[in-house]
Amino acid sequence: MQDFLLSLGYGQWILTALLVLPLVGIIPVALAPASRAKQVALAVTLVEFVVSLGLWWAFDPTDPLMQFSVDAAWLPAWGIHYTLGLDGLSLFMVLLSTGIMPLAVLASFSYITEREKLYYGLLLTLTTGMLGVFLALDMFLFYVMWELMLIPMYFIIGIWGGKNRLYAALKFFIYTMAGSLLMLVAIVVMMFKTFAITGAPTFSYEAFLQASHQMGDAAPWLFLAFALAFAIKVPLFPFHTWLPDAHVEAPTAGSVILASVLLKMGTYGFLRFAVPFFPEVALSPLVTGIVVTCAVIGIIYGALVALVQPDVKKLVAYSSVSHLGFVMLGIWAATQQSVQGALMIMIGHGLSTGALFLLIGMIYERRHTREIADYGGLARVVPVFSLIFVVTVLASAGLPGLNGFVGEFLVLLGSFGRYPWATGLATTGVIFAAAYLLWATQRILFNKLDKLENEHLHDLTPRELWVILPLVAGMIWMGLYPQPVLSRMDEAAKRYVQLVEPGFAPPATALTTPEARP
Amino acid sequence: MNPTAIDLSTPLGLTLGLLPEVVLSIAVLVVLLIVAWRHGGPADSRLAGWASLVALGVTAAALAWIAGQAPDDPGIGQMVALDAFRFVGSALLLLFAAGSVLASLGYLERERLVAPEYYVLLLLATIGMLFMVNSQDLILVVLGLETMSVSVYVLAGYNRGNAYSSEAALKYFLIGSFAAGFLLYGIALTYGSAGTTNLVMIGAQFAHGSLPLMARLGLGFMLVGFCFKVAAVPFHNWAPDVYDGAPTPVTGFMATAVKTAGFVALARVLFTCFGANVPEWRPILGVLGVLSMVLGNVVALTQRSLKRMMAYSSIAHAGYLLAALWTGTPLGLSAMTFYLLGYGVTSIATFALLGALGRNGERDLDNSDIAGLAQGRPWMAAALAVCSLSLLGFPGTVGFMGKWYILSSLVSSGGGWLATILVLTSVVSAGYYLPMIMAMYMRPARAPLVFWDKALAGSARLAVAVAVLLILALGIVPTSALTLSDAAATSLAQTLGPVASGQ
Repeated sequence: MQDFLLSLGYGQWILTALLVLPLVGIIPVALAPASRAKQVALAVTLVEFVVSLGLWWAFDPTDPLMQFSVDAAWLPAWGIHYTLGLDGLSLFMVLLSTGIMPLAVLASFSYITEREKLYYGLLLTLTTGMLGVFLALDMFLFYVMWELMLIPMYFIIGIWGGKNRLYAALKFFIYTMAGSLLMLVAIVVMMFKTFAITGAPTFSYEAFLQASHQMGDAAPWLFLAFALAFAIKVPLFPFHTWLPDAHVEAPTAGSVILASVLLKMGTYGFLRFAVPFFPEVALSPLVTGIVVTCAVIGIIYGALVALVQPDVKKLVAYSSVSHLGFVMLGIWAATQQSVQGALMIMIGHGLSTGALFLLIGMIYERRHTREIADYGGLARVVPVFSLIFVVTVLASAGLPGLNGFVGEFLVLLGSFGRYPWATGLATTGVIFAAAYLLWATQRILFNKLDKLENEHLHDLTPRELWVILPLVAGMIWMGLYPQPVLSRMDEAAKRYVQLVEPGFAPPATALTTPEARP
Repeated sequence: MNPTAIDLSTPLGLTLGLLPEVVLSIAVLVVLLIVAWRHGGPADSRLAGWASLVALGVTAAALAWIAGQAPDDPGIGQMVALDAFRFVGSALLLLFAAGSVLASLGYLERERLVAPEYYVLLLLATIGMLFMVNSQDLILVVLGLETMSVSVYVLAGYNRGNAYSSEAALKYFLIGSFAAGFLLYGIALTYGSAGTTNLVMIGAQFAHGSLPLMARLGLGFMLVGFCFKVAAVPFHNWAPDVYDGAPTPVTGFMATAVKTAGFVALARVLFTCFGANVPEWRPILGVLGVLSMVLGNVVALTQRSLKRMMAYSSIAHAGYLLAALWTGTPLGLSAMTFYLLGYGVTSIATFALLGALGRNGERDLDNSDIAGLAQGRPWMAAALAVCSLSLLGFPGTVGFMGKWYILSSLVSSGGGWLATILVLTSVVSAGYYLPMIMAMYMRPARAPLVFWDKALAGSARLAVAVAVLLILALGIVPTSALTLSDAAATSLAQTLGPVASGQ
């Protein structure tokens, strides 16, 4: 397979093709009759996914550096290039994004009934923006892409969202923008410092990485600017307040993309930029103490708040805060297992939370309510739905044999050596997760069938099965046989650990970081 | 003619050196003659408008010609500059003037302001601005500024039937004359200290050591005068009322061309006269810039009327431009020039669109009036959305490139704190630009068919289309415009000589 792909020159055009294809796809969507726009969009996203699948085989798992690199001058006088590349960190983010998009489109078929062309055009623009964030290796290009995906999401929440959509959209936009503009200043500062060292203007990621150890007194501020942008996106407690609003108000596909892909941009940013650039700052006892504390608070607080939510969509939103806390813990522990675990949670959360939002969307289209109290006893009415719901919930709660378990286990295992107390507390989050998820399941699917409206719901349609089954298959596959996935992220995780190693020196301080206790 | 033909010491050379101004002056007289015979109905007004466009076009051709001929040597002791900074500044002014004419054509008819002298005044103001931009002498700066101001006073009150328009004109006139007084007083003090009004020679006087007290006062007074014209805090009080009351295309003209002329002239005075004294004027510009950014953006949040909101937004943009000047480096100057282009192009389109959407001077046009525009008039909504994003500085638009360039210039001259304030106030600005987009795309229209008569006139449509294309094109590939503004900035910085490069 690899040979065949390489004979097509796959490595040279694939990354650019992934960015261009969705944008080109907007043209047929715009030209098609309004009632056909969704089919065209589905076709475009499917082609995109199939094309991207080749990466799975063409990717060389033994190479820790960037693969399939593309480089062209954009604003050469300023050293701004169009540089793309892919490694074990971004590979799965890219596949997750391209894989989620057709499902998001398919899930919107009956939900979105007005201004469809605009909607699908925005989804396609969003695809380019998301992939651009994961592929960009030029800091300027990265920033442009980072901001670019804000607009489509803002419109998707604001136009097709729920009752409170305008407030949620504005909050989402301003939170993200506040963080990212400071990051822009940090990028510009780093560019000039790199300029002073190398003698040529450049925004290249590798050059930044080389020069980042010579930032002197500015390093803490630069780290702060990057970290703020990413922490808002993750969202790390206490920057999470935009998330429940955005999730609840967004249409189903919007919530799915938010949860599956957009949140991962924050943790990806930490893994790719913030921590490797400034390991000495990021892993200093003070910053470590703050971040690990926030992560653990996020894990427990998110779980506890999820427990008491009457709105099922809000429950899932808070569960994201909790899950992403594990990822942050894994990133900061910076051991081989913890980083691989963090990546596994990022993928697993993308699958299972995406699936939960899809399922909630399906049941919402039937009953037009998200209150848990309005349901009860659905298992008897819609058995297929209920079965899939239970599998997804178990995956999300981290049941062995499903995807959630692998990541959480690896993170806890890898982090225990560094932060025994924090890890111990984080473990309780797993228990809480089981509690809120299973309790909600009980109230929705089981209990008594006492609402008249619930008695005549119809079960999942074939289209809905097509939406949800690929995700379920992914969850089971990653739970039972994660080895091919893990082996592909091996080298990238190793490189990350190497890059941030200086942050733990001298080793004496790293081993005795009791301040890290929450 | 060979490239060194323009010799400013001969009368012919001087005439050639002023060719665009001379051509435009003649053209204004021609338009005035046409208007003298034909000032009856809408057709005559249209005729005057198209004639002015032709006049601006011919002027642009003359400008292109001398830009090709002139050596890039400002010359010592001459009245007019022949450098790239002038040519780029003049080109911007002609572009904005043409945009304003296009935006006015349909608007004046709709608002029943069919007196074709409007275009004569607009061209006269443009002549004044061209002189502000080309002058190498403080006297010429004042002449240009007064020519511009008097014409714009009248334009602001052009809607005689509207009390607010008259109020705007009176207010602008009173405060503007006051500001001109400050400027003259500053020039007098500078002259007293330096013994000359020629910018280059003043610069030579002050090239070494710190400024004498009298010159410092002169600089301060001149800054006050210029800051009035560009509407920087705390000299901005006139701007909201005047922007609000003036006919909307005139507001657009003020926000773009008047601001550009003010900034270009200010930059020339600062760099040529006081290029060696950057540390002495830097703190002032820093404070004024921060005040303008903060106050402009915060107060714009509280505005209901879109026109008034745009007035405060324009104050905030003056703050960004002052921040670029604060650097005192060629890079900052280049950033300012590029930002003027980006902001001007965006504003021309924005005011043209607001003009088409409102009625009776657009004073009470607010977000509820543009609600649902995306369904009623999708292209207008898309254009206004692009403009809002560009004003906000969003990637993919020229506004982002401009802001990035200003940020770069700030960071490169140790202004990280100023850059931080700039981006934080930009976040605030999202709080008033985004609601426009929200209204257009995310709210239903107040009533069906509310936009049936709110179309852009054909000429304004042309201006908006070109502007939006420029916003997007320069937002993606700004290379050519950046090269131009770099060349402009370098040519001005050359007059600084070796002294300034040490700054």
